[in-house]
Order: sequence, then structure tokens, then C-alpha cells
Amino acid sequence: MKRLLDGLCGLLAAVALFAIMALTLVDVLGRKLFSNSIPGSLELTEILMVVVIFAALPLVSLQGEHVAFDSLDEVMPSWLRRLQQVLVDLLCAVALGTMAWLMWGKAVDMTGYGETTAQLKLPVGVFVGLMSLMCGLAALVHAMLAWRPDDSGDAPLNEGGGAT
Amino acid sequence: MTEALLGFGAVFVLALLRVPLAFAMGLVGVAGLGLLRGWGPTAASAAQVVYDTGFAYTLSVVPLFILMGNFVARAGLAHELFRAAFAFVGHRKGGLAHATIMACAGFGAICGSSIATAATMTRVAYPSMKSLGYADYLSTGVIAAGGTLGIMIPPSTIMVIYGIVTETHIGKLFAAGVVPGLLCAGLLMTGVALVIRRNPDAGPAGARASWPERWAALRGIWGVIVLVVVVLGGIYGGWFTATEGAGIGASGAFAFAVARGTLSPRLIFDVLLESARTTAMLFTILIAASMFSNFVNYTSMPTDLKDGITHLGLPPLMVIAAMMLVYVVLGTIMEELTMVLLTIPVFFPVVTQMGFDPVWFGVLIVLVVQVGLISPPVGMNMFVMNALLKDVPMVQIFRGSALFCLPLVVGLVLVLFFPKLALWLPGFMA
Repeated sequence: MKRLLDGLCGLLAAVALFAIMALTLVDVLGRKLFSNSIPGSLELTEILMVVVIFAALPLVSLQGEHVAFDSLDEVMPSWLRRLQQVLVDLLCAVALGTMAWLMWGKAVDMTGYGETTAQLKLPVGVFVGLMSLMCGLAALVHAMLAWRPDDSGDAPLNEGGGAT
Repeated sequence: MTEALLGFGAVFVLALLRVPLAFAMGLVGVAGLGLLRGWGPTAASAAQVVYDTGFAYTLSVVPLFILMGNFVARAGLAHELFRAAFAFVGHRKGGLAHATIMACAGFGAICGSSIATAATMTRVAYPSMKSLGYADYLSTGVIAAGGTLGIMIPPSTIMVIYGIVTETHIGKLFAAGVVPGLLCAGLLMTGVALVIRRNPDAGPAGARASWPERWAALRGIWGVIVLVVVVLGGIYGGWFTATEGAGIGASGAFAFAVARGTLSPRLIFDVLLESARTTAMLFTILIAASMFSNFVNYTSMPTDLKDGITHLGLPPLMVIAAMMLVYVVLGTIMEELTMVLLTIPVFFPVVTQMGFDPVWFGVLIVLVVQVGLISPPVGMNMFVMNALLKDVPMVQIFRGSALFCLPLVVGLVLVLFFPKLALWLPGFMA
């Protein structure tokens, strides 16, 4: 389960990020050198951004990489820590689940209106649906962690770490 | 006013209970707005925030700069920088510490993250300092503090986020960081000199390099220079936008890493995935912060605060100084990005109302974040180093970091009272 999630979502997010990079480069070079930009590159970047952010979201949840104030962990008895972890994960699951439900409503609405992107005429609703799906998946991950915590020790150090 | 204060209180309580900060901000923001405005419109606005933040071309600047930083971290460019700096100053007492700061500054010009800079320099510089017999507090303090140059010297992820949230020109913010960044580097080196004067044994001298060796080492850093000139020069000169510059920088760093053979396909995938996860984590915070600020802006707090300050007739500079004091104190225990995003909705209107330049305020924000990252007991730079250096006691890292906080605080005070330090360079931009 864990490996499947890592593989599938990870591949999606990694490929999308690489595509944004390549697209930006080719677009800029094309515009500056041959005064010829890629049609719809702006929309494509936006869609790829959605894929990067939301495909990676379940993985961030899975690895416990959401920024939290964890300095009190060491002074807490382990049973209290476990109880806290269950409650926090359930709270996150509910929050993400609600978000998934709201975005699903938006996706259905947008598909109903037949909304498409300006240049390439791609159906926007589909990608909003993807947002909803990934939020739902992240909610499931938290529910799963509440049920059975990831006891493989500390989250691996993400050195690309955050904005700071 | 009361509603907003309750909201802030709720976020702090949830954070203490270990609810991830993004979830704490998002939940309080949505619940607060729901109670004030009704649940129907609140649900619609929450979904709209998620949608708008997801589909935003300009925000692609964030993952691209993160990706650039992660590629250069793996490309081995930091080694060359350190070697070149070492060749010039390594033979002096404390020379390795000076070289580390210089290499951090150079690395900061191609990497926008303090944590990544500190982690990379820990690998590159710490072993050399250890083998020369440097005191642990000096070597770790210098790396932790030098790492923070990563977010002051452009590019800088935190500047990008500040620019997005406050709609401030990112190119100007970048330009504004150059002089304060070099100033901080100079202050840190002064700090090293003072430590060495008090305790010469803390940083023994290394071997002297000959001039041919020096030129050879200098030639090794051409890759860094090309990236800096193209990316930062291009953005400063108005050749391309920050987003385009980020795309070119990431591609360039990728090309360097591949050309040097430091990247296997597996490693490329890992770097991409790590950057994507960092992006997702950041955007969760961005989305939640925007929900929270929708709530705060719906309350009377921002206007109350503005009116209150005008009413009291406080000297504007003292108001800013008070804000900075709040940040420095909060920064010792809070995660810095969240601290900034939480407070921007109430502080920023006050700042612009008093007629201050948002670019200058952005530089001050970066400075307090720098201090926060290395002020014990909570600061990511120290934690990253602790994770990488298993044999160094945390106390030594705390001691060194606390010591090298002081030069950065001096930098903060200088930029506070001499805004020209930040605003001179962006003044030439169109």
C-alpha cells in the first residue's frame, strides 16, 4: 500500500515537476530567441502545478512532513503521545475529507458548465476532480495512520526543507 | 478585534497540541469565517482558495527555485566554492571559518533555502574544520549562521513567498537582499575574528595555498558564476520574470549536475520527488494561511490596529522595531514561515499605512527569520545539523548558534535604521 502510493503519486509529481521546468525553459528560449512561444504554455504550467502539489500531498501526510510543533514530544508519556497522535490524525483526516468533498462539488459544477481552459480547451473540471481525489487520498492516509501509526521511526530528513 | 484574537489564540493552542500548523490555521480560519459570515459562503470561499492557489502560473516560481537549490546541492558546486575560499584565507587563524562563510554566501546566490545551505555546508566544511581541530561550537555556529545567508542572498524562497502573499515585486526583493546579505556575511566574519581573538585555539590555521593553486581553485567555480549571472542578472536586468529565471536556473543546475555525473536517474527522481513534497507541504501552509487571513480580514482587527497606532501617534520606526522584537522573541520557539504568514495580515497593512516600503519590510522579515532559524531552542538549521552530525552534542550546536545570532541581530538593527542598505540596489530597477 505504502509502496504503491509512493510509486504512483511520486512518479506523477516528479514527472509533472520536471515538465514544468522543461516547459518554462523551452518557452523562454523560444520567446527570446525565435520570438515564438509554446501555445498554451501558461495553462499547461498551471495544470502541472496542480498535479505537483496535489499528487505529492498524500506523500507529505504519509511521511509526517507537515510542519508541526513537536518540542513537547519528549516530555510526554508515550500513552498520551499515542492518544494525541490518534486525535490529531483523525482531525487532519476530517479536514482533508471535507476539502475533498467541497472540491468534488466544484469539479461537478465546472464540468456541468462545460468550463475549459482558454487556449487549449482542456476541461478544468477534470483537474479539480484530481485535486479532490488527492485530498481524499491524503485523508485516507491520515485515517490509516490514526489506526496504525508509522512506527518505522522518525521521518527521513528532508534537506530541501521548507521555505526556510 | 476580539474574534481575531480568539482566532490567534486557537491557532496557538492547536499548534501546542501538535496539530500541524497548516491544519491549525486552516481549521481556525474556516471555523472563524463560518461563524461570522455563515457556512455556505465560507465553504465556497474555502474551495475557491484551494482552486486559486492550485491553478496559479506565478506560483510555479516556488517549486522551480526549490528544485534549483536541490540540484545545485547535489551537483557538488559547494565543494568548489569552499575550496576556492579556503585557498585564499585558509592559512589564517580561523581561516576555515571565514572560508565557510564565504562559501555559504556564494552558495546562497544559487540556492534559496537556508536549511539546504546549512545541510550542504555541514557535509562540505565540517569535516575539514574537525580535522584541523576547530572547536565544535565555532564550526557548527558558523555553518548554522552562514546557512541563513541562503535566504538573504537571492534567490530566496521566503522572499518569493513574501512577494506572493503581499504582492510585492519579487525581482526588487531579490535585489534588496544583496547588500544586507553581504553585510551579514561581513558581520559573521567579524564575529569569527572576535571569537578567535578571545580564544585562538578554537580555530587553528590551515596550510597556505600557492598562487597557482589559488587561481586553479578560482577557475573551479565558473559553474556557480554562470548560474548567478544568468539567473540573477537576467531577473535584475529585466530580461525575464522571476518565474522564468527560476525555470532557467533549475534547468541550468540540472544540466550541471548531469554533466558532472553526480546524478543517477534514481537520484534525479529523488531530487524531483523531494522538491515536489516540499512544494506540497509549502502550498498546504499557503492555502491554510490564506484561509486564515480571509478570516482575520473579515474581522475588525487590521483596521483597529491601524487606527489604534495612528491614534496613539507612536513614532513609525518604533512600531516597526516593536514588530521586529515580537518576531525575534516568537522566532525562538515558532516555525518561522508560519510565524510570518500568521502575522502578515495584521502587520502588513500597518506597515504600508505608515508609508514604509514593502520591499524594505520584506528584507527585515528575512532577517528575523534568519535569527529565528538559529536561535535556540527551536530552529531548523540547528536541527538539520544535529541530524547530520551524530557525534556533536546538541549543546555545542546551541552554543555556537546562539553566539552567531548576535551578528545577525546587529545586521537587523542596521537595516532597520538605515533602510538604504536594502533599498539602494532595487532603486536602479525599472
